[in-house]
Amino acid sequence: MAEITLVEAITQALAYEMKVDPNVIVLGEDIAKNGGVFRATVGLLDKFGPERVRDTPLAESMIGGLAIGMAIAGLKPVAEFQFMGFIYPALDQIINHAARIRNRTRGRMSCPAVFRAPYGCGIRAPEHHSESTEALFAHIPGLRVVMPSSPARAYGLLLASIRDPDPVVFLEPSRLYRWAKQEVRDDGKALPLDVCFTLRVGTDVTLVTWGSLVKETLAAAEMLAKEGISAEVIDVATIKPLDIETILASVEKTGRCVIVHEGARTGGVGADISAQLAERGLMFLKAPVQRVTGYDTIVPYARLEKFYLPSEKHIISAVQQIMEFA
Amino acid sequence: MSVFHLPDLGEGLAEAEIHEWYVKEGDTVTVDQPLVSMETAKAVVDVPAPHAGKIVKLYGKKGDIIQTHAPLIEFEGSASVQKDKGTVVGNLEESSAVLDEGDMIIGAAKKTANTVKAMPAVRALAKQLNVDLTAVTPSGPQGQITVDDVKKLAGQHAPKLGNVEALHGVRRFMAIAMQKSHQEVVPVTIIDDAVENPASQEKDFTVCMLQALVAAIHAEPALNAWYDGKNMERCIHQEVNIGLAMDTPEGLFVPVLKNVEKKTPTELRTEIDALKKSVRARTVAPSELQGATITLSNFGTIAGRYSNPIIVPPTVAILGCGKVREEVVAREGKMEIRKVAPLSLTFDHRAVTGGEATRFLAAIIKYLEEA
Repeated sequence: MAEITLVEAITQALAYEMKVDPNVIVLGEDIAKNGGVFRATVGLLDKFGPERVRDTPLAESMIGGLAIGMAIAGLKPVAEFQFMGFIYPALDQIINHAARIRNRTRGRMSCPAVFRAPYGCGIRAPEHHSESTEALFAHIPGLRVVMPSSPARAYGLLLASIRDPDPVVFLEPSRLYRWAKQEVRDDGKALPLDVCFTLRVGTDVTLVTWGSLVKETLAAAEMLAKEGISAEVIDVATIKPLDIETILASVEKTGRCVIVHEGARTGGVGADISAQLAERGLMFLKAPVQRVTGYDTIVPYARLEKFYLPSEKHIISAVQQIMEFA
Repeated sequence: MSVFHLPDLGEGLAEAEIHEWYVKEGDTVTVDQPLVSMETAKAVVDVPAPHAGKIVKLYGKKGDIIQTHAPLIEFEGSASVQKDKGTVVGNLEESSAVLDEGDMIIGAAKKTANTVKAMPAVRALAKQLNVDLTAVTPSGPQGQITVDDVKKLAGQHAPKLGNVEALHGVRRFMAIAMQKSHQEVVPVTIIDDAVENPASQEKDFTVCMLQALVAAIHAEPALNAWYDGKNMERCIHQEVNIGLAMDTPEGLFVPVLKNVEKKTPTELRTEIDALKKSVRARTVAPSELQGATITLSNFGTIAGRYSNPIIVPPTVAILGCGKVREEVVAREGKMEIRKVAPLSLTFDHRAVTGGEATRFLAAIIKYLEEA
């Protein structure tokens, strides 16, 4: 068992699945010879050859379309978009075709494609490289949206996503790509999709988050523990379909909930979780549900990034506020 | 082994000529040390070392033409291979930290505590009534605690300091009358003392007070009146019907002595005694409790000096008399011990002016001091 980074876990999962399933193809801009902008596909060309590890032109709509065609034809394509902000040219392909193939053909065809992209700010990148627009995809019926937050979950969830018979938008937190290492067994064991992961058990407040901010949320929970506040931390992991049952079960216990996400506040996934808690969990709530999110602005350039990104301080402050209720 | 290629020395220059080598094979150079001067179509430019290292080979000699991006110098070792940053834009945070997430639970953690189901309004009520929701038995749908559940428990927890009783009869009437007065009347209370004349004979104090009231009403009739606040009408009475406050275990009775202005002290005393008797026996007729035009409260027979007596509408004045005491008073430069009666007059300022009230009080004092 090796200690690997999140991006190495992605590479490891791709390599594992390519080894056991000859239908798995990876494609994208500079992913073959160069190994990808973040080196997520490093070494795959040497191992599996140019037929299965394909550099594409700089044309995201085409990458989307190619992947859909391969998937319908029985392959298992894993398409890489260099950054989340570069997916938008392929939205037509993903929303109008990938998400609908099964429904359109009344189940005769499916689209087992994975659309991978790094997302999020905090790496001092230029514009278009800091997007966190998972809510866009979560809104589209027919798409599954998965966002890992650790090397272990990146490995297990990517395997599950590739094996899933329907399209998955797989968003990787670039800020955490090389932040820390974790022991990950390269045994090909997938983690379940459509279920949350409870990373820390607590009794006073439920902190719901996913992707890049799992790091800050766990740190905040640790600091809150020193104040005597016991926080439960849930990594949503699969944003769509949402495992609201796990969140509800936790809120039933704690009576308080703070939702933490990097994406802009308005229409964010946090709004939907909050609405579902109001619909089904109101009688358990001791305090109003709070959201700690990115702002309704374009993600700023490098120097201001740290002011955009929710911090431990923001999370702690939100928790302290609602602890003052009953 | 790494090879340094000729960089583009201008904007898209295809080649350059070696003008002069500053170094030779086998030399060890430091970063940025000039290696060679190259002549281009535009200028002669020094090319600095991209990094430190030992030179093993020079590609070309003075006068040779080198194509842009063609090998120029070969360094020993692989010092030139820069560590891959892992990204083409920005910087990825790297650390040797090892993530230990402990036991990750797939799905929800096991529930340990019993949970309370209550809507926010119910929780707010529970907080207000200091009710612990975990102690409440829920009766609502899906096991929810209702407002009634909270109230029920709050009632059980109320401190029991005595038996609660509903007010009846005279006590109930007093509560209503006092509340009405408080809501309606604009009371002003003025206080003063009446000093007894030492030459006067022993007398019936209550009767004397009644007669003092008659005298004061004669001097200032505005206080012997009824006021209708709703229609803003007042009625000044010719006859003097004095309500006399009497304390009983059942409550406060105020029987009325009618036409006091026409009665002798003896008649008044007889009537007072009869009223006292009938009040205690609870045989007092309703007609004897109605029609007062002004009120006297002799509370000083029990205790107390001054007070703010409460007017019962529609009357506009009430006189309170406290406990008569002996006091040292100054008379013509000397100290004398006299009996002093403390007086408190409350008037309804909607119907009575301050001047009328103070003149009324002055008339009472004058009567008492001369009697």
